[in-house]
Amino acid sequence: MSAPEVAAKPPTGELPVVTRPGVPFIEIETLRAKEFIPAAKEALSAMIAERGKDDLTRPVFNWAGRNSLFPLHWGLACCAIEFAAAFGARWDAERFGVVPRSSPRQCDLMIVNGTVTWKVAHKLITLYEQMPEPKWVIAMGNCATGGGPFRTAYSVVPGVDKLVPVDLYIAGCPPRPEAMLDGILKLEELIRDRKE
Amino acid sequence: MEAEFASQVSARLGDRIVVIDAFPGTLGRVRFKADFALDVFRSMRDDLAFAHLSMIGGIDWVDHREVFYVLWSDVRRAYVILSTDLPAEQAHIESATPVWPGANWHERETWEMVDVVFDHHPDLRHLLLPDGYAFHPLLRSFKLHEPEELEVKTRNV
Repeated sequence: MSAPEVAAKPPTGELPVVTRPGVPFIEIETLRAKEFIPAAKEALSAMIAERGKDDLTRPVFNWAGRNSLFPLHWGLACCAIEFAAAFGARWDAERFGVVPRSSPRQCDLMIVNGTVTWKVAHKLITLYEQMPEPKWVIAMGNCATGGGPFRTAYSVVPGVDKLVPVDLYIAGCPPRPEAMLDGILKLEELIRDRKE
Repeated sequence: MEAEFASQVSARLGDRIVVIDAFPGTLGRVRFKADFALDVFRSMRDDLAFAHLSMIGGIDWVDHREVFYVLWSDVRRAYVILSTDLPAEQAHIESATPVWPGANWHERETWEMVDVVFDHHPDLRHLLLPDGYAFHPLLRSFKLHEPEELEVKTRNV
């Protein structure tokens, strides 16, 4: 990232000035000068022309998105107990910015924890479609991943990926809260590298 | 107490029942004729004080089907079981909904699981299974599927 051409002067005076390597030191008089803002605009336009607008803003949005994942409650079975435990005092998933919300309009992450039946399938799809973009889906536990022990049962969806696109699968029956936190951190890595 | 109950039932229902068996934990199991179902239900509720229908279930005995009703009486503090046999082909019996409104969901479940049709039921459709489900899973002829064989409409909200 090339900054506008500004002469970096060493600080003078009594007070020590903290500088960081790679960051040009710009005096306040320079910022106030009439020439600075057109120069900065020109430099920014050049960067956008060179790398594209999305390429500059995408890391910012990805950073904001991955640090404030709001999962939707979708507790259907024993995995929901582990899900709830992960937000308790012992594991405290909220330190990763994960706050469960009760409305799909406020969520960007659907954690399906439990056995999905065909009876409830279209409700799951409706809630998924009500979530705003961008959105992600975690299939937590064996039942949501592939039907689990009920795979050949007459009423069970053999994996929630038959209904909605799944980004991440967490194995276990049920997975421990540590596994769920690991899955959320893995999903954060996926979001960090998102390029679309 | 069981003998007294049996004599009361015999006096009221007479030829509408087949036999009264002993059944553990209850006053007995009354096997009745399916053609007189509504009469038996009304008599059990009004004359014999069984005001509460606890559950309805069905059994597939391959050569015939059985439907049973578990009743509870607050007056007698006791259960009783009504039971009847139906043919395996096109099994149907009169609905108990006019007598016990709570029979509604139980009959819907029994119908979708063991394929017993309840005549004059106000709303006989799927309860636990999705609409359009083509099988009756608790029949003994039902085989476990590979999941891909179950094609279900998922979007008919």
